[in-house]
Amino acid sequence: SLLQVLVLYFAKSAELAEVRSENITVPHQVTSLQLWQELVRKHPRLAAIRDQVVLAVRQEYASLGDELLILHPGDEVAVIPLSGASSFADIYG
Amino acid sequence: MSQPANDIGSAGLEVENTDMSGCEIAANDIVKLTHDKLSTEEVSMSVVCPSCGAVSLFIGITRNSFEGKKVVELEYEAYIPMAQSEMKKICWDVRLKWPSVKHIAIHHRLGVVPVSEASVIIAISSPLRSESLEAVKYCIDTLKATVPIWKKEIYETEDCSWKENKECRWAGSREK
Repeated sequence: SLLQVLVLYFAKSAELAEVRSENITVPHQVTSLQLWQELVRKHPRLAAIRDQVVLAVRQEYASLGDELLILHPGDEVAVIPLSGASSFADIYG
Repeated sequence: MSQPANDIGSAGLEVENTDMSGCEIAANDIVKLTHDKLSTEEVSMSVVCPSCGAVSLFIGITRNSFEGKKVVELEYEAYIPMAQSEMKKICWDVRLKWPSVKHIAIHHRLGVVPVSEASVIIAISSPLRSESLEAVKYCIDTLKATVPIWKKEIYETEDCSWKENKECRWAGSREK
């Protein structure tokens, strides 16, 4: 079964996707990697940050992989670019 | 130690806590995101309490250069509700690691922050100094690693004219 979630793009991902937010239609259950691939399908320039991005589903981090996400209508999915390998490193002095 | 109550808003979180002298003290977690200029005085005063001999402070200041290029200003963007929830998680962790900590305040500025102004201020109070000093370091280190706030450096570029200010900002910027 399919439902709509709200995708929020931040920082570099918003520049690449050229959009700040949009509704997308996704299956009730999907892996985080599949969800990412759907975003890249809609906005191919997002592929540039494939190695420096995580998602947040209902404000909990979900790294790109086989983790199965259970989605509900209206859930927020955020695209969270990382400046380094695994952190927002070197933001502050 | 009693468990923190559920969130009541972005302003603060009241926790009933008993210090070593047996007095009832409400411990606060104060998490604030604002576009206003930050005030060190306001943040440090918000964690002062009679039983605390120590208030430790960290101030993150925007620097004027990065990779040899002169930075004009920084612009901070946040996934606001998640930044707030992640900052509250940090407060929770601080209290688990340093149970004697009394109040915690984390203020983060969003939007444009000129060079030499504060982008983040963390203040923590505790009866004795070592706990609040350690807790502040943990706070800023963890904030860097887990809180969804991004900074964009706006560089000074020679071919930037004042008339084309808006265009210049995007042309001379870079994500960090």
